[in-house]
Amino acid sequence: MEDSMRPPGMRDMLPDDVERFRIIESAFRTACLGWGYREVRTPTLERLHLFTAAGTLSPQMLDRVYSFLDWDGWSGERVVLRPDSTIPVVRLYVEKLKDAPSAKLFYVQNVLRFAQGDESREDWQCGAELIGDTYPLGDLELILIAYEVFERLGFTPEIKLSDPGILRGVLSKAGYAQAERLSVYDRLLDGDSNALSGVQERLPTGTGAALQMISMEGDGSAFLSNLRSVLASGMPEVASVIDELATIAGVLTDIGKPPKIAPALVRNFEYYTGPVFHLFIGDIKVAGGGRYDALISEVGGSPVPASGFALEMEPLASLLVPTGSTARPAIRIASAGNNGTDIGAVFALARALRTAGVNVVVGESGISARWIMASSEGFSLTEENGKALRLTSVEEVVQAVADAGHD
Amino acid sequence: MIKFALPAGDLRGRVAELLNRAGLPIEGYGEGSRTYRLAARGRGDVTTRVFREKDIPVQVALGNYDLGVCSISWVKEMSVRFPRQPIVPLLDLGFGRSSLWAAGAQGHCDQLDDLSRLAAVRIASEYPNIAESFARSARLARYRVQSVWGAAEAYPPEDADCVIVPAAGEDLLREGRIQPLFKLFDSSAWLVANALALTKKDLSSVVAPLLSAGTATNGGDDLRLPGPLARCPSDPTAIRRDTVRLAIPDGHQQRHVAEALRAAGLTFNEYGDGETFRRPVSGIEGLDVKVIRPHDMPQLIATGEFDLAITGRDCLLEHRYAFPSSPATELLDLQRGQYNLSAVVSEDLPANTLDEALTLWRAEGKAILRVAAEFPVTADHYARSRHFWRYQVIPIAGASEGFVPEDADLLIEGTETGKTLMENNLKAIDLLYRSTTCVIGHRDHELNGRRRRVVDDLINALEESARAAGPV
Repeated sequence: MEDSMRPPGMRDMLPDDVERFRIIESAFRTACLGWGYREVRTPTLERLHLFTAAGTLSPQMLDRVYSFLDWDGWSGERVVLRPDSTIPVVRLYVEKLKDAPSAKLFYVQNVLRFAQGDESREDWQCGAELIGDTYPLGDLELILIAYEVFERLGFTPEIKLSDPGILRGVLSKAGYAQAERLSVYDRLLDGDSNALSGVQERLPTGTGAALQMISMEGDGSAFLSNLRSVLASGMPEVASVIDELATIAGVLTDIGKPPKIAPALVRNFEYYTGPVFHLFIGDIKVAGGGRYDALISEVGGSPVPASGFALEMEPLASLLVPTGSTARPAIRIASAGNNGTDIGAVFALARALRTAGVNVVVGESGISARWIMASSEGFSLTEENGKALRLTSVEEVVQAVADAGHD
Repeated sequence: MIKFALPAGDLRGRVAELLNRAGLPIEGYGEGSRTYRLAARGRGDVTTRVFREKDIPVQVALGNYDLGVCSISWVKEMSVRFPRQPIVPLLDLGFGRSSLWAAGAQGHCDQLDDLSRLAAVRIASEYPNIAESFARSARLARYRVQSVWGAAEAYPPEDADCVIVPAAGEDLLREGRIQPLFKLFDSSAWLVANALALTKKDLSSVVAPLLSAGTATNGGDDLRLPGPLARCPSDPTAIRRDTVRLAIPDGHQQRHVAEALRAAGLTFNEYGDGETFRRPVSGIEGLDVKVIRPHDMPQLIATGEFDLAITGRDCLLEHRYAFPSSPATELLDLQRGQYNLSAVVSEDLPANTLDEALTLWRAEGKAILRVAAEFPVTADHYARSRHFWRYQVIPIAGASEGFVPEDADLLIEGTETGKTLMENNLKAIDLLYRSTTCVIGHRDHELNGRRRRVVDDLINALEESARAAGPV
């Protein structure tokens, strides 16, 4: 017999977990709404082909999706439990919102991907997508929204910037054909540290330090200048990528949020085409996102610039200290007897108190030190100090509670 | 006791020879044998069971058997989808060699890159998990994998753009009018073991003699998958067809269908009791005929590849249980090839109905019911609708009579006379349905002109044939 009836990798959320979740969600929603974003939800099931084309999910990530033939899937074409939210939001935009000049959307929803053992297979994402706004305004706006969420939660995160264009430029310089480049890049995205073996010797003389540099991490503009001096002479196409990063890094530094530059920090999703950012609290990555200008045309729309980010809910929730119940204090109402008239009195009072905005707990067990015994003959209100007050009508009880300033 | 799973089918002769050389002769095992449970002569510590090759990795991974012999291709088919299954390939036995290929329709997909031209790639294979991996790795933007019971090589070009098939050589593929595109791996027969059994149980008295008697080689290749194909503009041009396409079955239904066709006055050259030709000549203008596995027909009707098919009601129901809104529908009962699909248990189980059996198993505290079936979706539907508690459906490819009671509690099995059940100490305790051979078609396809006439003439003739056979 297994330990639990739940499938491996699936999590129950207990009241404390849900409370932490709601705190994050609330900070996220407040920030997004404040920057003019509107909430959407996409379906749990999507068509698999939305995720299979090159430029969307890497093959290793695709090996972890939950795909199956639906009840009407006799053609053999599969559906998938949403493994990612950005691609479905892009589909939603292409199908429903493409006539709008731009779309600022956010969502709170789960994604499902297989993981080994009991590692979580269902993750929640708070994500925002900005479709139709170009570099660098959109990128900076998203970084600042994400930053605001953490400030609202009481954290000061560290910003790290990268751009997959740097890695792509290096692979291109090493002479990889398009298909090979995609294959090496797929492996890199999935964290295969051996993927770059063989790249070094294919790089032309004078560009040997490139691989070392892109695996380093440095401070904003200074590190970018060094990176530019090493890479740009042999790989001019990388220069413009570095310049883009430098613009964003410059603005962030000017507003007092200087970023780190981590060129190799691109993982898991291959649709990013421009600047990518990550937010860290200590060593824990709590948010990530970036520019994906090619994705909308991959999914069938016209070429439209876009970028987005998502919070990493599970690690972030683990950083929050549980505060106990956020529910307001409640008055307990017990019934004097088990007959219909006494019980009727309990619920008549409960409804009146709820109408007056007072929280109630009905039943013998409760969390309130103040409580009311209700019967067909009247009510007994016991205060926290043990003093009891006899009242005859529902209105009197509501008034007494209001006078005592309860709640 | 060491439990050893041995293959039925083509490998039997070579495996029997190897076992004899290793001093492990198995009574009654060899070419043409049909017994499922066999004893190793002079070896009371070894018990063997004969399975269809495809079922052996599943049985070894489940831990029902400690050792097994099968083509490594079936192990890869399972492990590519379930990489953590506890099965260990121990020894390449060096025979049963072939390779698994991705092959395309000649003149349509002659190179791997041709697949990226297609708006949606149709892939047919008996290896659906490997086919899915192939498609994902090649980054095909849109594809659908048709999991077939056999005859995948006959699908291109009409019914598939690409097939994943075993072949001993590239030339054999070309002879069959399909073009080798990519070799996935070389395959041969292997000795495989359950990983847990290897760590807990002394299997050396079987493994060691096989190692010394074997013609071991360096082992098969790892599964190779293609890299991403370059994206090419898609060419969604639909081919307009002006003929009626009819699918007729191979295998055990072939005899019944040939009789029904004869009784209808229809003779398709090269279709009968002998060797299977995939494209018999119909002799009727505007009618194309293809011979494929009956299990695969409902899907091909639903997707519109065929207009009519002659198959068993069992195959249609299996498809309809999986896809309740499928447009594949029964048009005519040919009143032939009748059998019962039944729930079958061991004769020794003191129960005569399913309810009695369930009560008994519950009283025994059986935590999980093992249901073996050649029609796994039907079995799953049955288990759900009869309110089984926790259960697992074990899909099997054949040789089903030997599963109960050791490897399954319940078998969903076809029976004609009940004689085979009795011979195998089994009994039926519930009837799922009666199956006969029938004509199926697409519920919503409206045909006009010549195609309508061809279909009407065929159905009328087959109705005569059904009347002649009479109600079963």
